[in-house]
Amino acid sequence: MAEAPTENAKRPAVSRPAWWSSPGFVAWALWGSIGAVVMGLAAYSGAKAFVARRADDNIRHVLLTHRGLHHYIQRVMHPAYFAAREKGMVSPDWYSPMVLSSSYIVRNMHGFYNQERVKDGHVEIYYKMATDNPRNPVNKATPLESGLLRKFNEQRGLREYRETVEIEGKPFLLHAMPFLETNGACLRCHGRREDAPPGLQALYPGEGGFNERAGVIRAVEIIRAPLSPERFTVAILTASAMGGLLGLAGLLAFNVRLRRLVEARTSSLREEVLHRAQVEREVLQLNATLEGRVRERTAQLQAAIQELDAFAYSVSHDLRAPLRAMDGFSSALEEDWAPALGEEGKEFLRRIRKSCSRMGDLIEDLLRLSRFTRQEMDPKDLDLSALAREVAEELRSGSPERRVVFEIEEGLAARGDESLVRALLGNLLGNAFKFTAKVPEARIEVGKTSWQGRATFFVRDNGVGFDMAYKDKLFGAFQRLHSAEDFPGTGIGLATVLRIVQRHGGTVDAASVPGRGATFYFTL
Amino acid sequence: MEKYILLVEDNPDDEILAIRALRKNHIVNRVEVARDGAEALDFLFRRGTHAGRPGNLPEVVLLDLKLPKLHGLEVLQRIRAEEATRLLPVVVLTTSSEDRDLVESYRLGANSYIRKPVDFDQFMEAVRQLGMYWLILNHSANGVGAHA
Ligand code: HEC
Repeated sequence: MAEAPTENAKRPAVSRPAWWSSPGFVAWALWGSIGAVVMGLAAYSGAKAFVARRADDNIRHVLLTHRGLHHYIQRVMHPAYFAAREKGMVSPDWYSPMVLSSSYIVRNMHGFYNQERVKDGHVEIYYKMATDNPRNPVNKATPLESGLLRKFNEQRGLREYRETVEIEGKPFLLHAMPFLETNGACLRCHGRREDAPPGLQALYPGEGGFNERAGVIRAVEIIRAPLSPERFTVAILTASAMGGLLGLAGLLAFNVRLRRLVEARTSSLREEVLHRAQVEREVLQLNATLEGRVRERTAQLQAAIQELDAFAYSVSHDLRAPLRAMDGFSSALEEDWAPALGEEGKEFLRRIRKSCSRMGDLIEDLLRLSRFTRQEMDPKDLDLSALAREVAEELRSGSPERRVVFEIEEGLAARGDESLVRALLGNLLGNAFKFTAKVPEARIEVGKTSWQGRATFFVRDNGVGFDMAYKDKLFGAFQRLHSAEDFPGTGIGLATVLRIVQRHGGTVDAASVPGRGATFYFTL
Repeated sequence: MEKYILLVEDNPDDEILAIRALRKNHIVNRVEVARDGAEALDFLFRRGTHAGRPGNLPEVVLLDLKLPKLHGLEVLQRIRAEEATRLLPVVVLTTSSEDRDLVESYRLGANSYIRKPVDFDQFMEAVRQLGMYWLILNHSANGVGAHA
């Protein structure tokens, strides 16, 4: 038993759950993965938006450049050409698309534009003025472009159209817008073939680009910027990697924190275990000391009881022997020397003998009291009513001349040592019997009642009673409240009652009105 | 042979009073006195100072319990242990009012028990009854003892 705490201190019995299954970790992992997913999604959409904006920027750049060129050709070069022709500086037969056709110029300019882009490290941008009836076959619309052209002719308010398309497995941002609506001026070169300038007719054989009608959109401008998917992937991968790294770092930090926490807890736990073991040891030691002390006290008490025993034994022998001698020799004097003593001498001897007998009684009672203190207890369930009846019967048969009414309640039960409780009842009933000797209709009751809030037994008589002023002295040994002449006795009875009640862990009390009787209350 | 009584008593006062009580009750037999437990045994078994003592065993032993050297109960035990004295009448005579002495005395084979009261008159009465009983009426135990 004493080894147990030391054992505990060496190996603290702490059940440690796997760190990865701790609630804190699980929550962290959950939030970490959600965070990584959110980060990935954010990175993805961010990358997508970035790539789209780059493509859009490229398209806008192309548009603005090429539009400007169209305007320059149509608003500056064409009036200049026609002015020169009117002044006769240019032959009416002469026509050159390289100088006069904005579509031609812009298309070819776009080739140079792309060259410059590549030189500057940018991607090439696709540009086309697509039509179903091209003058120059390179402007022939693909089915997709042809569809878009139809769309613009059907939805006349539509200024532009955006779409992400995939061509040969690569994503592109496609920007389409309607070219200028064909008007009467356009028809000078796009109407009937024979109306077009002869130089133009010579340059473009066939019917391509002719027979157009006014009010129709004859071409769609298509710009296509690549959506650089590799950047996309890189961005996503980077974001994911960063998210992952962040998560990992978080996990590591968490793990370190967790480990520190566990270590701190473990060490504090170990300290506590050690502390408890220490306390337990101290308690055990204290208990041992206490046990030792109890043993010591018990032994002392037993020794005291034995001593008391021996004392009582020697009192009963040695104290009485001289008394007996006094009484014996007084008797011898009385018998053998009576004539020489005279009446007065005989009276003195009688007084000596009376005192001897009284002292004998006192010794006897003292021994009885000590016997009730020393006697071993054997607690049993007792029928107090039956015991009281027996005692009453003894009293009655002891003084057959007396008329006393005993009223004993039925079913009084208590737990106690039979011989002690019998002595208790003997004393209380004996007292009641004695102190009702001079009452004409003596009455003694034994029963159960409530006294000062507690269930108690009582013995009540209608005898002489006692003065409550001396109640405190009632239960002292050799205390008498009445003269020995009136009521004989040594005054040990109630001391015995108190002793017996105390040995049962009970209490005793008394109440009286002088001349009207007394009541004794007791619990066991 | 002469019938006599062995009184085992250490208190000279009690001795005188006991003998007086016997005499007053007309028991005139010789009274031998042993002053302690050891002497009582020496007397009965004719040892020590009583070696070679002539005569028979007493008719009755009046045995006080609280004795010097050997306690009365021990004396009683030795008497009952010996074949010669196994049936010797022993009356325990004591001041002790302790119940255990009474119980123990009977357990060890005392024939009777008399408490020495403080009142000499009561004692006289007790001795009178005892003397009558053991010296006049009780022949058989004595007889067996004598012939053994
Ligand atoms: C002075 C003559 C002339 C006039 C006026 C003219 N174009 Fe053209 N247009 C041409 C020639 C020549 C070409 C072919 C250039 C080339 O080789 O790509 C052409 C090409 C085009 C093309 C490219 C498609 C194709 O058929 O190859 C479109 C679109 C076009 N013109 C629209 C118009 C519109 C709209 C107008 C009126 C606002 C107009 N043109 C006015 C001469 C003219």
